[in-house]
Amino acid sequence: MPEVKRQLSMVLDLNKCIGCQTCTIACKRLWTRDEGMDYMWWNTVNTMPGRGTPRDWEQLGGGFQEGQPRPGKLPRRRDFGDAWNFNYDEVFYGGKGDRVHLKVVGEEPDWGPNWDEDQGAGEYPNAYYFYLPRICNHCTNPACVEACPRTAIVKREEDGIVLIDEDRCRGYRFCMEACPYKKIYFNHAQKVAQKCIFCFPRVEQGVAPACARMCPGRVRFVGYRDDENGPIHKLVDKWKVALPLHPDFGTDPNVFYVPPLAPPRFDENGDIDESKPRIPNEYLVSLFGPPVLGVLETLKSEMAKTREGGKSEVLDILIAYQWKSMFGGFDRDPGSLTWNKT
Amino acid sequence: MEARYVPRFEIEDALDPGATLFDGVRATDVDLIGTPVGLQPTAAIRVSWTGREIGATDRVRVAAVHDGQTLAFRLEWLDDSENQALLDTTAFPDAAAILFPSVAGAPSVTMGAPGLAVTAWYWRADEPGRGRHVVAEGLGTSRTLDVELVRGRGVWKEGRWQIVIARALRVATDEPVAQLTAGETTGFGVAVWDGQHGERAGIKAFSGDWRELRLAAAPAVMGR
Repeated sequence: MPEVKRQLSMVLDLNKCIGCQTCTIACKRLWTRDEGMDYMWWNTVNTMPGRGTPRDWEQLGGGFQEGQPRPGKLPRRRDFGDAWNFNYDEVFYGGKGDRVHLKVVGEEPDWGPNWDEDQGAGEYPNAYYFYLPRICNHCTNPACVEACPRTAIVKREEDGIVLIDEDRCRGYRFCMEACPYKKIYFNHAQKVAQKCIFCFPRVEQGVAPACARMCPGRVRFVGYRDDENGPIHKLVDKWKVALPLHPDFGTDPNVFYVPPLAPPRFDENGDIDESKPRIPNEYLVSLFGPPVLGVLETLKSEMAKTREGGKSEVLDILIAYQWKSMFGGFDRDPGSLTWNKT
Repeated sequence: MEARYVPRFEIEDALDPGATLFDGVRATDVDLIGTPVGLQPTAAIRVSWTGREIGATDRVRVAAVHDGQTLAFRLEWLDDSENQALLDTTAFPDAAAILFPSVAGAPSVTMGAPGLAVTAWYWRADEPGRGRHVVAEGLGTSRTLDVELVRGRGVWKEGRWQIVIARALRVATDEPVAQLTAGETTGFGVAVWDGQHGERAGIKAFSGDWRELRLAAAPAVMGR
């Protein structure tokens, strides 16, 4: 397991995510516009329950089980959702805009990022869903680092960010098989694996990752795990309201989630039924492990406390009254930086 | 086996696998074996390849010629499928390589060792016309030095790859690459990767310990 001095982490409050994909686009515009990156979305937001991006990624294996690597499968390009081409010319410039609809040119796609948007699960009036934004988890026990035969993937000692060295990478894709979150992409043009870099060039200048800074919902907290005055330590370690996704995958992620509360159910008479949760507990446990139930209780009791007029430190943090307080000191305005392109 | 001396040829001509250059040159069948799963450098690879066939290619026919300047190998092997384009994440290219010890005593099975480099002339189906000039000093350490000095070209037809890989006997570099001399003997090895079977990196068929290659002496220059 790679040793690190400090660990940068992210906490995402799923109760605030509105699925707007601003994070996704912020990342796309910044990092994945080069050749071969057209189908890449280092940041994705999917409706849960759902099959996800890439399709059925939770069933593709990888990670560790009882300390041993668990075999994983390579997702296919169409499982990520290919970069589709549209008939822009025909619709916008061909003089047929009043007759021809915008559509995909070529093979009709059957999957894509967030393909099953807002489908969720459950039956009316008790249907439910929530949004799950995902990036590379910059794991403490990264399966990708272990899998690479060329030591082309490193976990940085100074901040725990996991990076692929594209000069060493030979495009073998053992990392893609090994990553249980299926957050590594293969660049077919450049023949290397690529993934979320936690915006390290920004972070090194004191600027939060683009997905976090651009989030209109104030969903994402950033900072060092050991910064006791920062939001990560308070949410993960002090209040214990943020949990890693699929701890059963054995990689010890450094991205954490505040699990979603849901409105109460309706009974057959249309009356509010508080006895059972709208989102089944088993489902949340399958994602975040058994501690998720305790987290929901903490959140509910803190909410009850404030309703009685009390103060709640954890809710104040989650509400994020002060936007900059979310970034653990990484709150420099990127507009104030001068970039030197080398 | 012997790399036969032939009068001066152009590397471009040698790269045509059907070239007459190899006519009458005695080819040698080299048996290949899969690399041992226990030698794969990471646990993830070992776990995922345990119980799976490694080394789908069991034999390669090798012929070699040189003209005192350039050494060219022709490799031929059976392969049901041509794997060239990397259009999908699950697609891997067919590939082959010739391996030499850069220095005496370099081990072949572990791709060299620290201070004991090996040199590979690596061709792959998705990079037509060129080869990769590679040195390694142990598993997982290979470095591509350049993509100019080694040339390669292949043709897949009716279930058979026929490829040529060539390089100058001697190259100007400070890197620990194999420098070859006509009239001398060197060790060599062959590896083949079958893309259809997901073979890449150390997952390949190879010829095991060094085999012997005699570079025929160039005829003595006649006196004036």
